[in-house]
Amino acid sequence: MNAIRSCFTGLALVIVSLTSCQKEYSEPAKDHSFTLRFRPVVQDTDNILEFGKTYTNFFNEPFEVRTFRFYIHDIRLFNTQTGDYFESGREQHFLVDAADTMGSRINMKVPSGTYNRISFRIGVDSVRNFSGAQTGALDPALGMFWTWNSGYIMAKLEGTSPLTGQPGDVFEYHIGGFKAPDNVIQQVTLPFPSQQSVTLGKDGDTEVVIAADVYRWFNGVHDIRLDTNPVVMSPGPLAKKVAENYANMFSVLIFYFYL
Amino acid sequence: MNACKKSGAPAPATLLTFTVPDGWPQPHYNFAGNPVTKEGFELGKKLFYDGILSKDGNFPCASCHQQFAAFATFDHPLSHGFDNQFTLRNAPGLFNMVWLPEMHWDGGINHIEVQPLAPITAPNEMAEDIANVVKKLQQHPEYPNHFKAAFGDATVTSERMLKALTQFVGMMVSANSKYDKVKRGELSFTTDEQKGYEIFQAKCATCHAEPLFTDNSYRNTGLPLDPVLKDYGRMRITGNSADSLKFKVPSLRNLYLTFPYGHDGRFYAVRDVLDHYSDGVQDGPTVDPLVKNKIPLSDADKFYLQYFLRTLTDSTFIGDKRFGPPQ
Repeated sequence: MNAIRSCFTGLALVIVSLTSCQKEYSEPAKDHSFTLRFRPVVQDTDNILEFGKTYTNFFNEPFEVRTFRFYIHDIRLFNTQTGDYFESGREQHFLVDAADTMGSRINMKVPSGTYNRISFRIGVDSVRNFSGAQTGALDPALGMFWTWNSGYIMAKLEGTSPLTGQPGDVFEYHIGGFKAPDNVIQQVTLPFPSQQSVTLGKDGDTEVVIAADVYRWFNGVHDIRLDTNPVVMSPGPLAKKVAENYANMFSVLIFYFYL
Repeated sequence: MNACKKSGAPAPATLLTFTVPDGWPQPHYNFAGNPVTKEGFELGKKLFYDGILSKDGNFPCASCHQQFAAFATFDHPLSHGFDNQFTLRNAPGLFNMVWLPEMHWDGGINHIEVQPLAPITAPNEMAEDIANVVKKLQQHPEYPNHFKAAFGDATVTSERMLKALTQFVGMMVSANSKYDKVKRGELSFTTDEQKGYEIFQAKCATCHAEPLFTDNSYRNTGLPLDPVLKDYGRMRITGNSADSLKFKVPSLRNLYLTFPYGHDGRFYAVRDVLDHYSDGVQDGPTVDPLVKNKIPLSDADKFYLQYFLRTLTDSTFIGDKRFGPPQ
């Protein structure tokens, strides 16, 4: 009798914890440590971006990079077959900065499960663009906020090229805009390499490396040439074109499993 | 109070009340996420009057926003900023700010809390860097204590700095002019003021809507483009050519304290502005339909209008010690 009762009790506890897990994603069943590491690259996923080194874009225009940063939020892991699902939510924002190794790592606790896709949104959720003074990743002191035309710079790529015709040969892509039709927030969904599924067990520790390729800023969907469009610093159709290009800059490279 | 100090726990901040004047609409910003406290308000005041927010220490908010000018810049078409530079536009008075859905002549600021970031970082205004301001405040001998009093601990963040400034500026309500006293039944207009009020209601009140004396819209009032400033107003924000040369309708409250007038301060006298509407409006593709054909105003109309507009001066507001420099 006692054995049966405790068995039932145990089962009841499991049900309760599952229910609460579905309702509130921050509840404790999310026990797998999952880290996203972004690797800034140029053209080839093994060609790691170095600031100050000269590269050429699709149009054979030489350029050097000195700033490469972008926001992401609403990170989701899911499995198209099993229905396993995790989402970080729209509130939490992460600033990925190629100048800062730690800033390029995002650590989360996710529920154990088998996943085969990751998705996220590039940029700052539109609501947070008119919510007044904020802190953390959205602190305007981080230099990703337009002070004269309120709103966040959602992604930034800056550097030099002899072709820009600008003072100091600079090019500056400050991409933002949260209102239709110039909303630049981009949804990205990435399959895992070789169509794999990845099982994240309880108590584990996994790191996924995602390439972010600056080469893709200049072409793919729209042609953005350094000689004709060296400066984008306000919301509008041009900013949206750049965003539609860089929405394709990501690819999942590799998983590392730690015990 | 003494018991509080002895226990070592920080004294809780003292809440202040924000009052909406009778008959006014609810404000756009209601301090819901930023309750006003005496300590937060005092910190905001200290920041407002302190050059530490500017690069060279010479340009506090108060250098362009002077209380005796209803927090506009007295007698300046354009204000002075860092390194002997002019600002782009005429500094507006600061009052009844929490009723504004957007700020600046072009409406580029979508929330009162982030407004100070614009003048702090503009190279021709305070010319500072936000992270550097935060650093200077954190290293200052007094500020961390003020932040602790206002927010519970001594950490300085841009968010706290902006919220404190918002508490101070947001509390600036100007609602005690003769006009307000007449509306409250405490005083009466003179015959001349009453005539002016009637002309105002017939010819001006669509855009300068009571009781705030603005409808917060953006309009082109037929001012020709200044060839040096090349300021296209609202179009700079929206990128839409339909917004070319449109500027926010300013409140007329405290009008006689905030001269000169217009987004670039090109009119020195109220009479100049009235003459513009009756004779000077220059037509163009985006000129507002309400002024496109000019506003018929006789000499007598202008005379009476000026009597009425003088009733919008709030001398209580400009003498209110709460908003004056920290003692």
